[in-house]
Amino acid sequence: MSLLEVTGMMKHFGGVKAVDGVDFTANEGEILAIIGPNGAGKTTVFNILTGFYTPDEGTMSFDGNSLIGLLPNQVTALGISRTFQAVRLFANMTVLENAMVGQHCRTHWGIFGAVLGLPAERKEEKEIETKARDCLRFFGKRLTGPREDELASALSYADRRRLEIARAMATEPKLLLLDEPAAGFTPKEKEEIVELIGRLRDERGYAIIIIEHDMPVVKNVSDRVIALDYGKKIAEGTYNEVASNERVIEAYLGARHKESA
Amino acid sequence: MSTAEVPVSNVLTSRAVKAGLVGGVVGVYVAAIGLVQRFDGRNAITGLISLGYVLYVAIALGTGFLASRKVRTLDDPGAPTTANIFVTGAIAGAVSGLFMVPFIWVIGQFEVRETFVNVSSALHDILTFEKGTGFAAMAWPLGGLALGALGAGFHPLVPRYRRPLLAGLLVVLFLSLMEPLVRVMLSDINKNVFAQVNLDIDEGWLYESGGMTIIGAVVIFAIAVAFTFRRFQKAEARLVALGGGPAPEEAEQTPLRRKISLGLLIVGLLILPQVVGSFPSEIIGVVGLYVLLGIGLNIVVGFAGMLDLGYVAFYAVGAYSVGILTSPASPLFAPQLSFWVALPIVLVITTIAGILIGAPVLRLRGDYLAIVTLGFGEMIRVIVQSDWASPMLGGAQGLLRVPAPPFFGGELRDPQAIYYLILACVLLVAFVAYRVKSSRIGRAWNAMREDEQVAESMGISIIKTKLLAFGLGAALASFGGMIFAAKIGSLFPNTFLLIVSINVLAIIVLGGMGSIPGVVVGAFVLVGIPEVLREFGEYRLLFYGLLLMVIMILRPEGVLPDVRRKRELHEAELEDEVLLAAAAVGGGALPGGARS
Repeated sequence: MSLLEVTGMMKHFGGVKAVDGVDFTANEGEILAIIGPNGAGKTTVFNILTGFYTPDEGTMSFDGNSLIGLLPNQVTALGISRTFQAVRLFANMTVLENAMVGQHCRTHWGIFGAVLGLPAERKEEKEIETKARDCLRFFGKRLTGPREDELASALSYADRRRLEIARAMATEPKLLLLDEPAAGFTPKEKEEIVELIGRLRDERGYAIIIIEHDMPVVKNVSDRVIALDYGKKIAEGTYNEVASNERVIEAYLGARHKESA
Repeated sequence: MSTAEVPVSNVLTSRAVKAGLVGGVVGVYVAAIGLVQRFDGRNAITGLISLGYVLYVAIALGTGFLASRKVRTLDDPGAPTTANIFVTGAIAGAVSGLFMVPFIWVIGQFEVRETFVNVSSALHDILTFEKGTGFAAMAWPLGGLALGALGAGFHPLVPRYRRPLLAGLLVVLFLSLMEPLVRVMLSDINKNVFAQVNLDIDEGWLYESGGMTIIGAVVIFAIAVAFTFRRFQKAEARLVALGGGPAPEEAEQTPLRRKISLGLLIVGLLILPQVVGSFPSEIIGVVGLYVLLGIGLNIVVGFAGMLDLGYVAFYAVGAYSVGILTSPASPLFAPQLSFWVALPIVLVITTIAGILIGAPVLRLRGDYLAIVTLGFGEMIRVIVQSDWASPMLGGAQGLLRVPAPPFFGGELRDPQAIYYLILACVLLVAFVAYRVKSSRIGRAWNAMREDEQVAESMGISIIKTKLLAFGLGAALASFGGMIFAAKIGSLFPNTFLLIVSINVLAIIVLGGMGSIPGVVVGAFVLVGIPEVLREFGEYRLLFYGLLLMVIMILRPEGVLPDVRRKRELHEAELEDEVLLAAAAVGGGALPGGARS
């Protein structure tokens, strides 16, 4: 059975059919790429999956649970975590604190434990810290060591994107949604992110759905690709299959298929 | 240099005139609203200068100082020379003095009291130094010139000398303003402490007929200068040792020294009311109540980022709950519990009240939240006054005879006794706030303050987290309300006005959002000082506004900011510099947007 099953997902904003009856599945250990021109409804799909929007119609089941009507934090608790197209970190918290926030839904101590300083609460805080560090370590020196105590706003653009992924990892997801993780990256950084996404799957065992515009990244990272246009799914298959699909070329890549560096 | 010199002096002259005019307007304004005359009734340094003249000296010094501050533009036309600076300050001071002359002439010639009720012949006497308009016409511009130049003279001074000098002046001014309080304190210390060891050191050396003695002023000034100078030297040495990097505050404090100073602080706090006497204890008590409210509101506004303008509601709920539960005069339901039994019950009641008021506003943010909570704050008072609730709560006639907390046979009512209850609650509440701040919930509040949507998608339940903040904030505020009820003994709805919420908010803004020591400082400045300066009561709000403006301009993060906020603002400056540098080199590598 697939980890995530979406059927007939539909979301209209007034007359705009942002998502118009999309079916797809995501399997465990698989990297699925969603491509499509601007305004095709890719980010809306993410927003519906994570509970920011309620779909007008359709079913979504994740790991045996329906996602319909859940709040974003409940979706996260079930094991779906995401990053944002425009990086949205807690800018005035430190790198480590950002990652520690991700652990919130996996932990439970509240005000009384903290005020009384109960040993169990102390232990949990230590564990939160350890797990957050562990997520940061995935990105090597860039987010560890002295960087841990820097404010997120002090990081470079690429490191902010990395920290966003680390924060999502700290929620201990089964499915990771990455919204344009390579946007604004240099070619070298793009190579690196491709490798990193592969490692996320291999070492952490996440299923991953990635929205990406950069075709080489999509090509190198994805097991399967679906293409959206005007809120509808127009193609599905391996990168090569989708990239050679007539409708995709027409809708998304223009009359002649060009691969931009 | 020859090309640069012209623009510098041009810039400075025009600024000198502008600053002088502003200084002049301020000078006329303070006279017209009656501040000068009121201040003149009090000596600053007896036999030398009254507070009224101190006001003008401060205006002239400030005008000179501000007019000649460094020109900060990217295309700096060259640094002003020392002579430039003095001339600028002198011009500014002279202009501000000159501005006063026609005003003085007009109020001497014509009767303008019909319109400006505060402009009297007594004011004219003050402004002419009782020597006639002709003398004043000479004295004001010349005095302004000299003081303006003096004010400008602060710039060429290196900080090592400027800071101590400024500190000395401010301490002397502060002590002369605080005369009513400090005088009582000194006389009580003499009575309570020195008399025990057969000494008689009364306040006569420091104060004389409402102002400081000249000797007292000189001694205090010298002490303040020496102390600040020493501290500054130490800080400099530390900076040099660290190679110019920012020095961590605690670096020089060894654990032992910390423990000793902490111990001294605790002992000091414990014996304070016995040493200083009743009147200062009363003022400290009022400040303490506001500290309690401030720490509570800090949770809602500072930690969780929700602007609550109706905070007085929880203060009122706490006060009335304890009143109903303990007072024998409670009209409808009077269980007459002891204060100590009522305390945990009231905590539960206010926590529930906090959650009930929080629940309908969960979806609101920013201004909308502020407006709705403002309404809730007013509602509580209106309900208490209403015909429906009057039979239960006493309405406008008040809920009377709230007993003082019993304590080992006695009771805590007089200021020196209730001080300990307030102190204990402040310590408890500060401890709670401090612990929660650095916990999992504190992080969640922080995240929510930064970006509510993202916090939610990172697994934080916004509903739960917001209600926790409202509930805890309300519970902490109820400590203030409970003690207030027990201290005063009677409750009237008109005590719980919007101004209380505004005061508490101003305290945490002044002290520094999210900072617990900041609340203490803010409460002392905004509640303690006005309590002492009751004789200037009508000008209270004027100073309040002025002080908040100055703080917001000079130190937007507050007086004692949270470390994080300080860094935030500091780093913004750094980032600006980096950006400017990058722009100068011509290569800002900005992240490119996505293509389609």
